[in-house]
Amino acid sequence: MSRLARWFTDPVPLGRVAAFRTLAYLFVAADLVLFTPWVRMHADVPGALYQPLLVGRILPLPTPGYLLVTVTFWALLAVAVAAATGRAPRLLGWLVFALYLEWMVIAMSYGKVDHDRFDLLVALAVLPTVGRARHGDETRSERAGWALRTTQIAVVATYFLSTWAKLRFGGLDWLTGATMTRAVLRRGTIFAEWSTHVPHLLVVVQFLIVAFELTTPLVFVLRGRWHWLWVGLMYAFHVMVYAAVTISFIPHLVAMASFLPLEHVRPVVRLRRLLRRPARDPVPAD
Amino acid sequence: MHVETVAPTDGGRRPGPPVLRLGRTGRWVRIAVTLLGAALLLVGTLVGQDDDFPFGPFRMYATADKLNEPVRDTRLRAVDTTGRTFALTDNATGFRRAELEGQLPRFEAHPELLGHLATAYARRQPDQPRLTRIDVVVRLIQLRDGRPTGHYSQRTVVSWSAR
Repeated sequence: MSRLARWFTDPVPLGRVAAFRTLAYLFVAADLVLFTPWVRMHADVPGALYQPLLVGRILPLPTPGYLLVTVTFWALLAVAVAAATGRAPRLLGWLVFALYLEWMVIAMSYGKVDHDRFDLLVALAVLPTVGRARHGDETRSERAGWALRTTQIAVVATYFLSTWAKLRFGGLDWLTGATMTRAVLRRGTIFAEWSTHVPHLLVVVQFLIVAFELTTPLVFVLRGRWHWLWVGLMYAFHVMVYAAVTISFIPHLVAMASFLPLEHVRPVVRLRRLLRRPARDPVPAD
Repeated sequence: MHVETVAPTDGGRRPGPPVLRLGRTGRWVRIAVTLLGAALLLVGTLVGQDDDFPFGPFRMYATADKLNEPVRDTRLRAVDTTGRTFALTDNATGFRRAELEGQLPRFEAHPELLGHLATAYARRQPDQPRLTRIDVVVRLIQLRDGRPTGHYSQRTVVSWSAR
């Protein structure tokens, strides 16, 4: 077996994929209620304004109405929360994927397509293939490895290929023009407003953004400290973008957690320890 | 899939965690799926459009801006049965402004489609008076060096009236 084939399925602890799965499914639930509540408003929009995307025409998915949108909303909410517990990972996982894809078709078939969640959809598509995975399990698994690796590839592709889209739709003007100036003027925060007054600064920033995006694949090549530096850089990039122009890519940040050793994050275990402690070390009565 | 315990390389003082390996078929099917997905994404990026979601091009903030060209600002103006004129918000209809901009050519070709927004408004505000008229108003805001000059021109690009 070639090294490349091994790389695609490099084993990771099952506990890592268990934690990532919980995070992704909890995000889906939060997305419905908190992050994109406007999707549900399409329940009241007449079907004549539904312009199905290619995927909606091929499958073919029904025209959304009040019933379809409401049923999808509640079913997805219930299934996502259930899937976050790790129970019935295949059945619930595939259900979440199918329902979330339908939810995205409902969201984006009215004239506006968002581009912030390709990698999250990939994560939802590959997670059900892992099967059973318990939190904290140190057993390493190639199934889990493939699921996380594929998500990571989608994360890096989002950066790398968005540079191509910039050149395709914006042309070289994207680099040398007023792209960032416009963004800062439209939605700049106090952390960014000053930057429009410094000549050429934002053009330099535009070059840096493209340089960053084109070098993200290095995260797969670098080892040790440098690898973690690159992962940190990806998160830092979004912290800076958010601080400057309050644009966040939350679904993308969730998918990016596929790079993190999440098996060490055990909030439930910690909480249990915290609750048990008083029983084991009784506080002496005054 | 079979379980295989891999002995650690450092002389075997402590056995490492066991490794669950994939079978031959399972491995190659997975790799093929990844490569197929990557190929679709690549084609979508090169020649695809938003319609090809989720494999379309990642064109978030991909357009370039010029600092001295006017900005288009599209909004909906409504009149209800009491004669009140007001701006229709995204929440009032459930149809977002970006969606209005995306379907604007369609509205221009078929103004009667705006009537559906009146229906959506009535569904979301059942206690409010019905709408009798909706206009799509495009405002061109003049910029100089990226800042609004205070001047703008405005025109109604498409209208609908209830019969």
